[in-house]
Amino acid sequence: MTEDILRRKVSRRRALSTAGKVAIGAIVAGVVAGIGGYYSGLSAAPGKKVTEKVTVTETTTVTKTVSPTIVTRTTSPTEERKLEIFHWWTAGGEREAADAMFRVFKKHYPDVTIVENPVAGGGGVSHRVVLQARLSAGLPPDTWQTLGGAELKAYVDGGYLVPIDDLWEELKYADVIPKPLADMVTIEGHRWTVPLNIHIQNILYYDKKLFSELNLSPPTNYDELMKTVKAIKEAKPKKAPLGLGTKEKWEAAFVFDALFLEVAGPENYVKFYKGLSDPKTDPAFRKALERLKELQPYIYPYHAGLTWDESCGLVVSGDAAMVTMGTWAIGYFISRGWTPGKEFGAVNFPQKPARILLGHTDSYGLAKGAPHPNTCRDWLRTVASPDFQIAVDVTQGGMFARLDIDPKEFPDPIRQEMQIYLRNNPDKLILDQHGSIAPFSFTQAYWDVMAAFITTPDIDKTISDVATLMETYKVKEEAAWYHWGSV
Amino acid sequence: MVSLGIGVKKEKKRRFRVSISEILIFLLPLIFFTVILYLMVGWTFYISFSNWEGVSPKYEFAGLKWYKLMFNLSRFHIDVRNNLTWLLLGVFPTLLIAIFLAYFLEIGGFKKGESLIRTLILYPASMSFIVTGTIWSWMYQPDKGVINTLLRLLHLDFLQSKFVTDQATANYWLILIFIWQYLGFAVIILQASMRTTELQEMVEAAIIDGASKLDILFRIILPNIRGGILILLSLLLISALKVFDIVYIVTFGGPGYSTDVLAFFMYIATFQQHLVALGAGLAVIIFLIAFIIIIPYTIYAMKRWFA
Repeated sequence: MTEDILRRKVSRRRALSTAGKVAIGAIVAGVVAGIGGYYSGLSAAPGKKVTEKVTVTETTTVTKTVSPTIVTRTTSPTEERKLEIFHWWTAGGEREAADAMFRVFKKHYPDVTIVENPVAGGGGVSHRVVLQARLSAGLPPDTWQTLGGAELKAYVDGGYLVPIDDLWEELKYADVIPKPLADMVTIEGHRWTVPLNIHIQNILYYDKKLFSELNLSPPTNYDELMKTVKAIKEAKPKKAPLGLGTKEKWEAAFVFDALFLEVAGPENYVKFYKGLSDPKTDPAFRKALERLKELQPYIYPYHAGLTWDESCGLVVSGDAAMVTMGTWAIGYFISRGWTPGKEFGAVNFPQKPARILLGHTDSYGLAKGAPHPNTCRDWLRTVASPDFQIAVDVTQGGMFARLDIDPKEFPDPIRQEMQIYLRNNPDKLILDQHGSIAPFSFTQAYWDVMAAFITTPDIDKTISDVATLMETYKVKEEAAWYHWGSV
Repeated sequence: MVSLGIGVKKEKKRRFRVSISEILIFLLPLIFFTVILYLMVGWTFYISFSNWEGVSPKYEFAGLKWYKLMFNLSRFHIDVRNNLTWLLLGVFPTLLIAIFLAYFLEIGGFKKGESLIRTLILYPASMSFIVTGTIWSWMYQPDKGVINTLLRLLHLDFLQSKFVTDQATANYWLILIFIWQYLGFAVIILQASMRTTELQEMVEAAIIDGASKLDILFRIILPNIRGGILILLSLLLISALKVFDIVYIVTFGGPGYSTDVLAFFMYIATFQQHLVALGAGLAVIIFLIAFIIIIPYTIYAMKRWFA
């Protein structure tokens, strides 16, 4: 009897341990299969279409199809009418613009289901982190938001996009947007994305009430700027003549660019960021740094702790008289209850020797291996359309990519005036810091150097730092794709 | 299934004396932990020797290319120095203050107030760095912040500081936030290790023998809570080493690189500069430093278990 019980116990134990082994085996198998699937997905990513479904449960199923063809257009009539899209317009103001985007798209193509993957986080940093994981796993969405310039080039180099020259041809898009804008999304002779707006970087915003009180007119070059800041300092010693926030670093490069563009002129400006001139011997670079050093005492001293919107807030709160910021600041001032042209004014800076608009563009392309390429093309057709750009750009804060839209569509005089200028001078647009002529590896470090310079202006150190960075991050090779004018 | 067990030999029976619940409880977390953590660590290690630059993975072997680049960057040297400053000034003052505070709370004689005080000083630890970082950056604001405003009100203008916007001292002001946040946590750990029965008895005996309060602390308590101190020290050192959030929230590494640390540079290099191999290399450096830090604790733990 006791033996019997013992046996039964033993057998139960044995059965359990067998079950345990099976369980472990299943887990290990699942993990290995998952990793295997992930790795083969990774190595297959560029240049191959990967459809992958990995389910790791108690029973592991791994279904994989790898077809080595380069995907261009799927002519299958059975394609699901669905658009999977990544964008980073999630903040207040931008969310409304994203809603407007999809509203117009739905109006054009009511049968499409939109699958949004918005990733919160300003400037698209978190967006890039998530997107990068999806792309390297070989599971791209149909389309995603990207800035024309260095960011786009990274996606093109990675082999994640399909050229859309035929779509540009069909839409005759090159005829309706400024040539320099088309060049921002043209790499190795191909059009890669459809730009939907233009954001301008070199704008000087000023407190209109203060300027009329002190009888000042907005400065358009360096000499006028110095006169203005000195006059403000004298009349209002407690006020910072030029507001600034360099916490995110790029703001510092905005201020520098405004000075550098005037000293160097547009051609040499482009040459510099293409790595074609040596910072150590470039007289314009040194002179612009000298000018920034002269301006530095008139800049808000605690800039290191402020973000861009907080720096604009200095003007609203009366702590600063002016601030250098992009088109997106208009929306910020309005949200603080200021009316464009009434409480605040804006001018492009510098306007001498030439009035150049430094700008970048948000754009959408077609993913290589997109699950719904035909629907995505319909999306891109919508992005290029005037009613899309009117609805989205007016809300989001940029300017129209298309030059055939009436500038009066803008509610504010600032963008109206700049759009008219651009329409008459479409060749005066140059890629800015955010779009970045140079690769991001350089640009990011360059911003840090500029932010440090405004804190402690050491000209020789900055010149040698920038020269080192240009060499380390191979700017000359990596920026060779960009062309402007004869450069 | 049941019949399977009948013919099993005796030796085998002993070897498989694990129940399914034991397997689930011990093995599963172990596999989970090993796979998730060490596979990723190994993967990061490998990536740091690859040539991954840009958004798409490049796995070809590049040797020490990115390490060479890293050692040539002045930013890396500043970061290592800043990290060491964090380790020294973030950890040891916290530990020292915590020892005195914990001792004071234990022998202070206010049995009723003790738990209240303990809760109060533990409070900062329960908040995330995102919250405390934001609060402190408001307080540190040089022209509108509460600290300078109060100093002006008290006519102590000479004490005003530019805090985190001053290149020379910014890093120290950040470390102060860390000390403030971790102090309560440190006190709790030390108090817990002071509350063993043996130690209490020794203290009581010392009191009867007429030992002074400082004697009790230095000659009886401290030698007997070495284990607790070592654990706390290791935890604090690792927290200080991996610091990222305070820097991200309060200064973003600025002004210049004055508050930049390795973890922050790792983030920038990987996701902003798209230099994934460089980011992985920085992660390896952080890992190595953490490894060195943890050695004393490991030796201590081994001695205890195997002695």
